[in-house]
Formats: sequence, C-alpha cells, structure tokens
Amino acid sequence: MNFNASVIEKKAASGRPVFPFAAIEGQDMMKLSLILNAIDPLIGGVLIRGEKGTAKSTAVRALAAVLPEIEVFEGCAYSCDPCGELCDNCINSNGSAVRGMRPVRMTTLPLNSTEDMIVGSLDFESAIKSGKRVFQPGLLARVNRGILYIDEVNLLDDHIVDIILDSSSSGYNVVEREGISYCHQSEFILVGTMNPEEGDLRPQFIDRFGLCVEVKGCTDMATRIRLMKHREEFDFNPHGFIEKYTEENQQVRESIINAREILDTIIMPKNLKKYISELCLSKNVAGHRADIIIQRAAIALTALRKKREVTLDEILLAAELALVHRTREASNSAPLPPEPDDDNDEQENEESPENEDQNDDQDNEKEETPPPPPPQNSEEENSEHENDENQPDQNMENASVPDFNNMDMEVKDEMFDIGEVFKVKTIRIDKDRKKRRGSGKRMRTKTSQKQGRYVKSVFNRNDNDIAFDATIRAAAPFQKIRGKNANTLINIKNEDIRTKEREKKISNFLLFTVDASGSMGARGRMIASKGAVMSLLLDAYQKRDKVGMVAFRKKDAELVLPPTSSVDLAASRLKEMPVGGRTPLSIGLSKTFEVLNVQLIKEPSSKPVAVIITDGKSNVAAGNDKPVDEALQYAEKMSREERIKFIVIDSEEKGMVTFGLARKLASALHAEYFKIEDLKASDIVNVINRSK
Amino acid sequence: MAQKKIYPFAAIVGQEKLKEGLILNVINPGLSGILIRGEKGTAKSTAVRAIANILPETEFVKDCPFHLFPEEDIKVCESCPKRECFEAIKSGRPESIMRKVRVVELPVGATEDRVVGTMDMEHALQKGEKRIEPGILAEAHRGILYVDEVNLLDDHVVDVLLDSAAMGVNTVEREGVSFSHPARFTLVGTMNPEEGELRPQLLDRFGLCVNISGISNVAQRVEIMKRRIDFDKDPDGFINKWSDESENIAKEILTAKELLEKVTYTDRELEEIAKYCVDLEVDGHRGDIIMLKAARTIAAMRGKSAIDTTDIEEASMLALPHRMRKLPLQEIRSDITELRKKVKSQKQDMVNA
Repeated sequence: MNFNASVIEKKAASGRPVFPFAAIEGQDMMKLSLILNAIDPLIGGVLIRGEKGTAKSTAVRALAAVLPEIEVFEGCAYSCDPCGELCDNCINSNGSAVRGMRPVRMTTLPLNSTEDMIVGSLDFESAIKSGKRVFQPGLLARVNRGILYIDEVNLLDDHIVDIILDSSSSGYNVVEREGISYCHQSEFILVGTMNPEEGDLRPQFIDRFGLCVEVKGCTDMATRIRLMKHREEFDFNPHGFIEKYTEENQQVRESIINAREILDTIIMPKNLKKYISELCLSKNVAGHRADIIIQRAAIALTALRKKREVTLDEILLAAELALVHRTREASNSAPLPPEPDDDNDEQENEESPENEDQNDDQDNEKEETPPPPPPQNSEEENSEHENDENQPDQNMENASVPDFNNMDMEVKDEMFDIGEVFKVKTIRIDKDRKKRRGSGKRMRTKTSQKQGRYVKSVFNRNDNDIAFDATIRAAAPFQKIRGKNANTLINIKNEDIRTKEREKKISNFLLFTVDASGSMGARGRMIASKGAVMSLLLDAYQKRDKVGMVAFRKKDAELVLPPTSSVDLAASRLKEMPVGGRTPLSIGLSKTFEVLNVQLIKEPSSKPVAVIITDGKSNVAAGNDKPVDEALQYAEKMSREERIKFIVIDSEEKGMVTFGLARKLASALHAEYFKIEDLKASDIVNVINRSK
Repeated sequence: MAQKKIYPFAAIVGQEKLKEGLILNVINPGLSGILIRGEKGTAKSTAVRAIANILPETEFVKDCPFHLFPEEDIKVCESCPKRECFEAIKSGRPESIMRKVRVVELPVGATEDRVVGTMDMEHALQKGEKRIEPGILAEAHRGILYVDEVNLLDDHVVDVLLDSAAMGVNTVEREGVSFSHPARFTLVGTMNPEEGELRPQLLDRFGLCVNISGISNVAQRVEIMKRRIDFDKDPDGFINKWSDESENIAKEILTAKELLEKVTYTDRELEEIAKYCVDLEVDGHRGDIIMLKAARTIAAMRGKSAIDTTDIEEASMLALPHRMRKLPLQEIRSDITELRKKVKSQKQDMVNA
C-alpha cells in the first residue's frame, strides 16, 4: 500500500472517541492492575472477572489511550523497537527506515478468529505473482508492544487460547505451517474479560494470566450518580469530555512513565522475598508462577508509589491481585478473593498464647519497619503448615456436601441434603463422543454438517467443506510453474485442497428430570437421588456438557433450570429443590420432551440425553387415563424421537416390596436403566478427592 | 427489484409499549436497542419494518459497502473493495447521499461468515487478489439490525453479535482476511419466551425490553382485521390514507431529537435512578446509564425540558425488566414499580425482624 499507515492510524484513532481512563469511577483494583501491567508487561496480563456493565471493556480501551507513545519504524509490520531486537525487514533496510512515534495499539481478538490469521500465514498474493513463499504477519505480529484484548475469553476456542497464551508467555510467535518457518517477537499486555455466569475458564488458562480482579458494580450512591453524569456527558459531547480530562489522563501517563524509569532500581528486601513464598504456600498455590508475579507486581507498585524499597503493604496488595485466581480449592468453585489482612490475623491468632507479648511488639515493629522480622517467620511457617493441612479439607467438605439446611427458603415443603457424591460410571452417551478432541470442551461436528466455528484448515479430502483461503494459499506458490487455467487465474490441483476443521460447542445436553414428589422424601431416597444427580452434574461439568433440570411434583412439572452450561447454577437449583406432594410423572415426561424438542430445534445435530430420576409411582394424570398407564403411553411416544437418549435412574429402595415401575418406564422409553446404587463406578473414588 | 409495500407505522393498532420503545430508540440511538418479548402474531416484525420507513433521512457515503458517514473512521477503507472513494477520502470528502436508514434482518440460520464478512472467494480465484466481502454487520451500521427469534440463534453467532454490539466495531480475523469496521446499530430482537430464554449477557445488551401480548379487546381486534384487509387489498391507497399521521410521527421524532440535548436533570433524579437499580439489585451500571438515557428521551418525546419522576418511572419499566437478577425460570417482570415497593417492604421487614 502506498500511503502512510501511521497517518491513517492516527486519523482513525482520533475518529472514535475513547472514554478517558481518569474519568472511570470506582473499580480501583481493576485500574491498578491495568496500570501495573503497563509499567511492567512481564507481569503477564490481567483477567477481569465480573458481572456485566462494570466498565471492563471501557477501562481496557481507555488504557491504550493513556499509554505513552512508542517509537517504531514506519511501515514495520512487527512494530519493532528501534532500540531493541529488530525483525528481518528492519535489519534488511539497513537503517533506511524512518523512525516515528505512534500511540500504543489495542488489538481486539474476535471470538471467531481462525488460527491462520492469528499466527500469520502465507501471503498468497505475492505467492501467485512471484512464486515465492512470503510470510504474512498475523494478529500476533500486529499486537507486538501493544495490548491484546480478549472480551469473553471464556468463550474463546481452547485451541486459539493455547496459541495466544503460548506467545504471551514466551514473547515470541513461532510459525511452522504451510511451508513457512518464521519466528518473530510478540510481546503484549494480555487483557481478558469474562463473566463467570457464562462458564469458567480452565484452571490452566486462568493460571497464565498474571493478575486477576473481580469487579462488581459500586453500591455507593454518590459514585453511581457521578458515573451516570459522566457517561451522559461523554455521549453528548465526547470530545469536550475528553478535553476536560486531558490533564488527569496526562498525570496517569506520566506516573506510568516515571514508574517505568525507576523500575529497575527498586530494592526488594530479602526477608520479604521469603514472605512471598510463604504467602503462596499458605494459599495452597500450585507452581511458582505466583511467587514471581507477586514479586514483579509489588515492585511495579512500589515504583508507581514513587518509593525505593518494597514494603509489606505492596506485597499484600500485589498478592491480592495475583492470588485471587490461584487460590484453588479442591473443587471447581469460583476462586474466592483472599484477604491478606486476615491472613496475618490468622497467623497471629493461631500462635500460642505465650508468644503474645512478643507478638504485639512485632506487630508494632511491622507497622514501623514493614519487613516482618525473621524470628516470626519460622512461627508463621508452622502455623501456615497447619493451615495447609486444614484448609483443603474444610473446603472439600463445603464443596461436596454444601450445608443448605440453614438456607432461608419460604417453602414449606421439605428440602433434602445432597447425598453422597460419587464418581459416576461412564455412561456411554453416544458413539461419536469418541470424536472429541483432547481438550474435551467442545466436540467436532459430524463431517456432513457445515456448522460451527471454522477454526483451522486441515489436509483431509473426505469432506466437501472446503477451506478456500487455505486451498488458495496451498496452490499459490506453484502458480508460476503450473500456468494459467482457462477461467480462473489460479490453477488448483487436487492436492491443494484443504478442508475446514470446525468446532462447535459441545452439543451434548443433559436434561435431568427429577421426581420431587412426597414419595421421594421417604427414607432418604431424595438425598440419595440428589447425590446421584450431583455426581452426574460434576461429571457433566468436567465434560463441559450443557445441563438443564425439570422437577415434577404436586400437579405440575417445571423447568427448574433452562439449558445452561453453568453447572454451578444447576447445583444450587438442586439444593433448593423442594420435595413434597403427589407424582405427576406423565406431566414431567411431557415437559421433558418439550424442553428437549426446543433444544433439538436450536441444535438439530445435537444428541440430548434425558436422565429421569423417579420411582415410577405416578399418581396424577394429565388426562383421564390411569396415571401409570398414561406415563407409559407418553414414554412410548417419546421413545420414537431417535435423537434423544433416555436414561432412567430408579430411586425405589431395595429390599422393600418393589413395584418395578421405573423399569417398565425404562423399557417403554427404550432407556438405559440404573439403580442409584449401580451408578457408582466400581472404583469408588470420591470425586472431590480425585481432583486434589 | 420490486419494493415491498410497508404497512404504515401509524396504522398499527394498540401495542403502545412496543411503539414507544421503538420510537425512543429512533430518537436516541444511544439506547442501544430493544428486545421485544411476546407471542407470535403481535405485530412485532410489522412494527420494526414500519418504523424504518418513517425515519428521517441521514447522510451516507455513496454506495459505501460499510454505510459510513462521510467523515467517519476510515481505517476500513484501506481494504475496502471500492477503491474510488478511498482515493476521494485521501483528497477530501467523498461523494455522499441522503437516504433512509435500513432495517437489516439477521436470519436465524445465518452463518458466521455471512454475519461478520469474509474473503471474496470469486475475486481471489479469478484475480489472485485478496478482497473482503462485508457481511450483515457492515450492512447494519447506522441502521437497525433486526433479529427475529433471537433466542434461537446459534451460540457462536450470538457471541459475535454481542461483541459488535458491545464495542461498536466488528473485527474480522478469519479466512485469510483481517479488517475491522464500525458496526454501531440499533439491535432489535424479538423472541418468544416459551422457546427458551436468552443468555443474561445478551439480554443486557438490549437497552430496553418490552413484553407484549395479543390484544384482548374485541373492538380493537376487529379494527386490526379491517386495517389488514384494507392494506392487502390496496396497499398504496392505505399508505396514502395514513400518510398524514405517519408524517406527524416523523415530525414528532425530529422535534424530540432536537430537544433531547436540552433535557436537563438534577442530582435528585439521578439519585432516584440509582436507588431504583440498587433496590432491585441490578447487575453492573448499564441499568443506571440506560435508565437515565431513557428518562431523558421520554421527556424529550413529551416535549419537556427536564426529567421528572414520571419519566423515571416509565424509563424503569422499559430499562429494568430484563436486568434484574433472577432465577433462570423466573418470569421477566414488567411491573417494576410494584416490584420495587415489594422488595423495599421485604427489606424493611427483614430490618425490623
């Protein structure tokens, strides 16, 4: 292109007004974490978790605008630092390239990106014209020395996340594809946002983000009012509003520049280094990344505060940002924000009483001279080890058998605990389950369907889903040799054809239909049933299935939980499920069918699974037939939909006079039949224990 | 292509909430769209198509595939297949035309590449050059994006839609092309709640939400039938008959648009708005912001120069129903004021106890 790219960029940047960073109300932790990363990009990015409408995206966009401009060679696709490592192009130019300043780029990674565009690929235009293989830089090149922003990072394809995190941690993008071998610098501040309601990130991914903040809406009235005013003012006169905050933005910018300058001179006292490791140990953090990140963040924070030496205060604040997502309980529950102050209190409280006096002294000392004196450390260590042993156990108990008896529900019906949670026997849901990729989160669609997200291209001719872009790229280098075709410029041979590899969110959908009638309440059957459902839910979580729940009792069936991927939500619905009343099995079945049908409309390729937990003793009918007969009739009809797989879990107690109604139901549905007891995997390993 | 005749907006019987919500969005596009929840055959689609027809004309770059305003973000023009106007931009202002805003429909079965845009394969094969082919999001820029049955949309298309609606920009990094273009549109979605709910993330992106149902008043039902038959028999005549009224609405919209900037508010009203959201435990701050915008727009529509409590109350009915934290199956309530009273008294009880 024959025009000045940076002029266009500047023009474009000024075209779309950005809400000023300094004008963002509240959310101090989020702003701090972004600034720390701006000071020292090696901190490794931020993950912002929080509810919608809390200025997550606004803050990230605003950050790019306050960052100091960077020096680049004009036209360099990799934004090389003229004073640092250079890319091949810049080396070859032998200093003829013009240096220029430009604002830091914020690059957004769209959720539907394909692999080739992220890492870069063969430039087919030049391949066709010159027959040479030239590397065309991708998003990872453009983002060098900038900010990479991923909105809804938890919805991003696993494979893409892998690529990004790889570059982000190494600082390089290594390309080996389509006959190209290339490596270039790719250092960037990674910022991801996510809403935990939409499902969580895998722990491995979470760990790769340096810091993590939880954001919530402010409840302070005055802040809310200021916030509304700012927004309205900005919307009506963006440029005027930005002008108003130029000075404050400039202050933020200068504080970042100043902090960067003194970053290398900050002193980190030795005993504090030790304290960091102890802190990490006490939080049961896996690996050493947290230690390093706390240290970096504390140094950056000290620099920001214009101090020369790191103190306990900075460490605790840094730890708060770095440990939120790393303090892992054995369960998969959302990480709780740790309170560093508590931590100290705990340690102090747990110390033996005879040390108290000494302890007080130390406390005072601590306030005056922040580094905790060495003698205390050994004691801390002891107490922390105690914590180490106690904490996980407690957490596990909480996770496995949540205590919801004390939950204040205004339902008169009984509520039962969730019974024993166990590892579920592998229920073979469908044959094509084996097609799943290793990551297990998503499943490839069947070859006949061209649905789902195109992620990358593969060399595979069994399929008509041609990836044109990849095919052209494959054919391009040979065009000089092959010569022209009659109608098209490009001569494509069979061996060039590439097909699309698509990924789709897992289409397995588990619908639980739970009999919540009075008969289930007797003799702890409900507790056991809930335990069974919970076990299946945990299984579903690990396999990233979607779940839904229907409960039927009294005269009605209700969809307690519409299809969702949030298993947490399912678990809490399960806890709150009241029990009592008669058994309208047929109504429950028809509701189940209805929900499944909607699911099939949405995703015709999916194979939903209905798990029906009941004793089969129906005593309320929708029509005039006998309740039990009606239920069986319904079951017969439902079994005709071949896409649905049914599983009946019989909750009838063993040993008593059994009616075997659930078994009848199962055969009418052509369903697999289990007793609760049969569900357990032969090696009864507690699910929670396993994940330790 | 024969122009399809559009049923006049003014001739829609009843459904005042729906009409109000749409008009508010036209007056203030900052309200970021409306979600219409209701059963089939309640004039949802008719109203959306009709509203576009009475919209004021605005300026567009001539034949621009991205429907840009002449002085808008020109980054995308670098890679735009239309080279002529890019040349014009470099030397000044491109040729522009005045025309009405478009309603672009996103079909439920739309594939992702059609939605976001992709590489022009034909061109690539024939010329060996890369050229982008803009998608539906480009078409919808500065217009209305209408998604019928938005709750049945494929998950990955919803993600893309969310992204663009949130950022006002559509970024494409796929199938060999990389470009981004502005995509600020008024998102109008309809859904039938019986077929499943929307994800809370997407719900939050719709500024306003109205619940509508069929009309049970017999006289009105008769009127609906009459008008529909009249329209089908002689569309032109029918449109003519209603042209005065349609024009009136268009004029009202224009006046309100002008007034909007001048509508003032005090801290007291802002506090009232914030209290609403706090009382009802609305997530985040988008509720506050939208409510203020809605209240101002309502005041402007009524020709007032300051917002008062009735405007706020009405704004809450439109802006909050879909934002309250709720259990998954819980109905989306529209009687916000009532609900707030109830919540308040419950809280009071808890304090007393």
